[in-house]
Formats: sequence, structure tokens, C-alpha cells
Amino acid sequence: MGAPMDLPPAMTARATSGFLDGDDLLAAVRTIAQGPLAEVAPDCDQKGVYPESVLRQLGAVGAMGVHHGDRSALGQTAAADFGLAIRAAAEVSRVCGATGFMLWCHQVCGVYMEQSGNPHLGGKALSRHMQGLTLGATGMSNPMKTFAGIEQFLLRARRDGDAWVVNGTLPWVSNLGTDHYFGAVASVEVAAGEPAHEVMFIVHCNAPGVELRNCPSFSAMEGTNTWAVRLTNYRVDNHNLIAHPVRPFIGRIRGAFVLLQTAMGLGVAQGAIDSMWKVEQPLGHVNQFLEDRPDELQGELDALTERIMRLARTPYESSNSHLIEVLDVRAHASELALRAAQSALLHAGARGYLMSSDVQRRVRESHFVAIVTPALKHLRKEIARLSQPVMPAVDVLEPA
Amino acid sequence: MSRLEFRQFICRACGLIYDEAQGDEDSGLAPGTRFEDIPEDWACPLCGVTKADFEPHDPLPSPTLLGARSARPLGRGAQAASQSPGAGRPLSPRLKRPAGVVVVGGGTAAWSLVEKLRALDPHRPMTLVTACSGDRYDKPRLSVACKQGVQAAQLVKERGIHAAQRLQVRLMAHTHAFSADAHSRMLRTTRGTFQYEELVLAHGSAPRSCPGLPDELAWRINDLRAYSGLRTVLAVDSAARRTVLIVGAGLVGCELANDLALAGHPVTVLDVADRPLAMAQPEQSQALLSAWAGLPIAFVGHAQVQQARRLGNGRTALELRDGRTLEGDVLVSAVGLSTPSQLARSLGLDWADGIAVDPQTLLTGVAHVHALGDCISLNGRAQRFIEPIHRQARLLAARLCGEAVETYESAPPVVRVKTSSMPLTLA
Repeated sequence: MGAPMDLPPAMTARATSGFLDGDDLLAAVRTIAQGPLAEVAPDCDQKGVYPESVLRQLGAVGAMGVHHGDRSALGQTAAADFGLAIRAAAEVSRVCGATGFMLWCHQVCGVYMEQSGNPHLGGKALSRHMQGLTLGATGMSNPMKTFAGIEQFLLRARRDGDAWVVNGTLPWVSNLGTDHYFGAVASVEVAAGEPAHEVMFIVHCNAPGVELRNCPSFSAMEGTNTWAVRLTNYRVDNHNLIAHPVRPFIGRIRGAFVLLQTAMGLGVAQGAIDSMWKVEQPLGHVNQFLEDRPDELQGELDALTERIMRLARTPYESSNSHLIEVLDVRAHASELALRAAQSALLHAGARGYLMSSDVQRRVRESHFVAIVTPALKHLRKEIARLSQPVMPAVDVLEPA
Repeated sequence: MSRLEFRQFICRACGLIYDEAQGDEDSGLAPGTRFEDIPEDWACPLCGVTKADFEPHDPLPSPTLLGARSARPLGRGAQAASQSPGAGRPLSPRLKRPAGVVVVGGGTAAWSLVEKLRALDPHRPMTLVTACSGDRYDKPRLSVACKQGVQAAQLVKERGIHAAQRLQVRLMAHTHAFSADAHSRMLRTTRGTFQYEELVLAHGSAPRSCPGLPDELAWRINDLRAYSGLRTVLAVDSAARRTVLIVGAGLVGCELANDLALAGHPVTVLDVADRPLAMAQPEQSQALLSAWAGLPIAFVGHAQVQQARRLGNGRTALELRDGRTLEGDVLVSAVGLSTPSQLARSLGLDWADGIAVDPQTLLTGVAHVHALGDCISLNGRAQRFIEPIHRQARLLAARLCGEAVETYESAPPVVRVKTSSMPLTLA
């Protein structure tokens, strides 16, 4: 299990220090993923072991900060590199989908903090966040689904002078801990006739009015530290405000949010293809009768990765056509992860069906890739909505 | 048991159902506990949200296996495809299931190709993927139908679902195709990914956007849905008279102006040029203007749109760059068409104001990918007329069947301007 997949042992043992960039960063991430992460992945999947030290190591080499515009916290002068952040996260998901998911949670929380323009969330706080010295997450599933017309807001905010007071419960938020924080949205209570609007903010898990409650068991990824979060009169003010109003902010970051997520699908698919090659020598003579062979899947994955890298050059473009492409590659990554994980299980046969096998774990991880917000069905619904021409309303004129 | 029936409540977050009859003994709620009697601090036993996040739940009757089709209106099969929009819910696509010849589009070009191909090959599997219902109608009638008092439904010559049955084609209605890969021959759509044997792009063009005229304010009459919406705001079935502003005095703009004026609505037509139908001979424009003299149509030339905005009374103000402002009940944008390039780009097709195909062979240059109708361009010029479509469809159908293909002749079409007050023919 812990054996590295494509690195010489000397390299996996190499100590990494300092923040890295480009291929050096990818090599360091691979070293962490195929070393300590591979060791803990089965327990993270089944036994609820939270791979905190691995996450901290990923932060220490720079994997949590390269997608930020100001990289001085990492001692770097280069511009934001979403492509590199995605490739790094894909290397993590290739070994452990749960940890890849948590890395995304943290990366996208950094996007909220940076794009908020709030000096309390930028500056020193963002600097520590980018280095993985503090850990963040995202409670945006419910608001994203609400904006897409699928759910209703679970958090409600009441104006209190210059601040807001928030109540409600989010059912499951991942990558939490007592000293962690995450981005969330509440609908603001308005008087009749006033337009509906929302407020977006950071929730500090150790702040007054925040209670973490146990979640039921999931079929995989138990070590993601996923909790229900109940807010009771939780206070939002200048110190933790991300956006008000929220909708223009979401419009700006939505593409980046979804694009960073593609790393999970890419990584899980790559991990599945890796495991097919591992059994090619002994089982190739019979596996040749299967569809979705590793070389075919690799070709599709490489083409998809190339497309994602192209889109990653303009992560904050907000045109409809760009957003449709981003949703398309996210959907494609889900479909490919599902097919690759399924095919890897068929390639491995009984040995892949053992509870200790990463092959069957990856099948369950691929299900997560396809159901986590935005799920495959949500992506298609949203593409359909964005593709539908907008028409004027028919009821605006007074009756003739 | 209570006299009132027990009810069910569903958790909006995780879907857990609280059934009053069963209670929730793990959290101390005895069977029969009414929802309103549950303490406010009770939490969903599955996901932890509070009582306030539950809502009443009326379960659907569960279908029996045999009755599944009738019990579930969204079921599979052509019969289930419905009569209303949102509907036409077609067979579910199966991932990578070979879909034969896949045609993208639901207009004249798409159906014409399907008809001609079916005539040549009774057994070829075909799938038609269209963003609309696939209902068949003559698009040119959209700009002349208001006067005739024709409702949108009456313009439909044949429902898409009936045409699909007649021609034995699998119809994926209300389905958007958004990208394709020529190497793996996959078409990605909002209802799944298809593997195609041959792909035919017949998705036509879309109304061009005009800066300053947001889609929420300006009607762009290029399909039945928009036509139907326009009829509603014009209240054409009442005696109401709405003032209409039409931006663009090309073919469609002039035809619409003529049609709406004859239906009794005062119309102002604007264009950047100094005359309507600027692509025609000056004397033809003059003849049209003379014919309009007896109708409530005003033409405003040299008009460059600055911006449109909605007024408090629901009317629309249109500001021009030279400072003039016009006001009307209804704003129509008719500034031309452009071809969506998304699918063509993903396939790596040559592009020149449309999918650039060889003028003699109509070949796209990418194996197994074909195109016809409004979405193609010949020698860099888009083709937006009905007449050539049937010849293109005949040629492509023959090619798809491996038959000898004659050379395509791209004669410039004769265009009739259906301005009934002064019908014109443009050569």
C-alpha cells in the first residue's frame, strides 16, 4: 500500500523544505502523497483518521498557496497559478481522494479570503492560510445548490446594527477541527417587499455560538473530519465578513471554485489507471477483453487535463461560455473518474475487491467525486440553464 | 390512533423522513408524536439540522413494477414523452451507448437530414439532440404570423415526438449539446454522453447580441418560445395597442415591423443605416418606405444604441448615442444572427463566421463530422436561407449512406422580403 507508484525510493525519502514552485512543487507533493499519505490513506478512508500532518506538509511545500495572486507569503513573486494548484491536488487525489478533497476545501477557502477584499481575512490571516499553518474549509454546498434552485438556505441572518446574527445548522462540513474555519452563506431576513439577499462570512469553529455535532457514517472518506455545524446567534461583523451582497461575489469566484475541484476527478481517474497498469503484466492476457483499457483512459484523461490547464489560465473569467466549459470539464472529470475506477476494479478482479485494496476504495471515492456539490446532475442542470436564451419577462406591463 | 391521519415531514438537508406514525424512538419521540409536539431543539437524527428545516412531505405513490410506466410520467419510452414543455422527456441516454448518426439541432436542417437519410436507409440508428422540443415549424413565418393572429401552437406542423416516431429516430428534446471530441467520437450533452458513429451539426444560428440591449429587455424573435412570449406582451388577442421599438431594419426587422403594424401596433424601426433594408437597392428601400406611409411605422435612421433600460411603469426607454431617447412598451432586437461556435471549437472545426465547409463537397475536414444549414459558411459567408438546406441534406444523406455524391452548387439564393405592404425580391 505504502509503496510509491512512480518514484525511486531515494526520492520518496528526500526531505523537502521551503516553499517550492512548478515541477519542484509537483515532485515534492508526489513524494508526500506516495509516502506518508499512501500509508494513512486506508485508515483515512475507513477508520476516520484525519491526515492532519499530511495536510500540514502539503502546506509547507507550497501546495496551498500557488493559486493566490500575491504569493509573497511563500517567498514567491510569480503570478497566481491555478493550473499548478490543480495538478498538485490531483497528485494528492491520485493516492487518497479524501485528502485531495480536503486540500480543495482549504484551497477554495483561500479564494474566499483573498477575493473578499477584507483586510481581516487577507494579510496575515491569508498568509498563514496559504502556508497551511491554519486550516480552512467550505460550507458552500447548500448555498450553491440554493443559487441553482435546488435547495433553500439553511442559515438565516438577522441584521444587528453593523453586524449580523446567524442561526441554523449546516448538515455536513468537511475538514473541520476546533481551531479550523470555513466560509458559509446565510439568507438575510428582510421586511416584506425588500429584495432577498444574503451575507457570506467565515465561521471560526472555536467562536461562541458554534457547535460541531456528529455526522452519520459515510461509505468512504471517513477521515475528512466532517461535522454538522449548528450556529446559535453566531456574530458576523467586519472581522469575518466575506461578502455582502453575496450573488455578485459568487458570480466572480464560481468558475475558480469549480475549476479547482476538477483535481479530485483527475487524480482519482489517474490513480485508477495506475492500478490497471500494475496488473497488466500478470492479467493483461485476459484484461485485453475489457473496454476502457488504461491506454484509452489515459488518452482521454490527458486531453481533459490539457483542456483544464487552458481554462485555468483565466480562472476568474465570468462569461457564460467560459463557465459552461468549466462546468463541462468538471462533469467530464466526474464521468471519467467513475468509469476509470469501475474499470480498474474489473481489471484487478478479486484482488481489487479485498477490503484492503485501494482499487475498491477508489470506486467509492469516484462516487464522491460525482455526488459532491456540484454533482454531475447539478452540473448538467446548470449547463442547461446557462445555455437557455434569456427572454424578457412577460408580465411587466400594466394590463392593457 | 388519532382521528386525523398521520403525516410525514422531510428533512430539507438530507431527505430523512419523519413519520408521525413511527416517531423517532432513538431521540425519545414515541410513535404517534405529532410534528408540532416535537421540541424545537430536536435535531434530524441523520444530519443534525433542526426541526425548522423540515417541511411537509407527500410521498408519491410507489409504482408497481408493471405500472411503473403509467405511474411515473417521466418514464422511458416514446409514449412517455410528454405534451408540455419541460417535457418531451425522451429516452435516457446510456453512457457510451452507440447512438448511430447523431444530429444536433431540431429545426429544418436537422429534420430534413433525418428524413432524407431515413428514406435511403430504413434501419440506420439515428439520434436527434435538440435544445428545444423538436416541434417542426417554418421559421420564416415567425415574422409574419402576428397579423394573421396565429398562435404559437398553430405554427407547429408536426410535433417533434410524432416526427421522431414516424422517422424512427431517438429524440433527445430539451437537451443541450455543449462539447464533443472528434478522437473518441463522444458528444457531451446535458442528458449524458453519447458515442456517435457520424455526427451532424445542424444547430443553426442564434440572434446576435447588441451592446446596450440586454437579453432581459429586448425580444429576439428566432424561435417559437420567443414568438409566444412576444404575443403575450403584445396582448394580441385583446384590443390592446402596444408601441413597439424594433432595433435593426434588415429582413427580419422590416418584416416584423410590417407585421406588427398591420396588427395595429405603432412601430418605430431603427437602424444604423439611413434607410431600411440597407442591403437592397436604394429604390427598393424607398418603395418600402412609401408603402409604409399608410401604416403606423416610423423609421429612424443613423440610430446607434447607447442603452436600453426598464422604466417604472414597465415600459422601456431606448437611449441613442446622439442623445435622443425613444420610449415604447415593447423592445425588439433584430440585429442579425451569429452561429454559436462552442461545439465546432471543441471539435477543432475550421471557422469562418460559421463552420467552414468545402463549397463543392460540404466536407468539414474532420472525419465523421458533418454540418449543414444556418450553422455553416461557404467561402467565408454564412448561409441563412431555407432553399439550400434541402439540397445540402440530400447530399449529406447520400454521403452518410456511402452513395455517390454530386457536387454542391452554392447559387446565391433569391430572397423574398415578406413585407406584405410592399413584397420585395432581393437578387
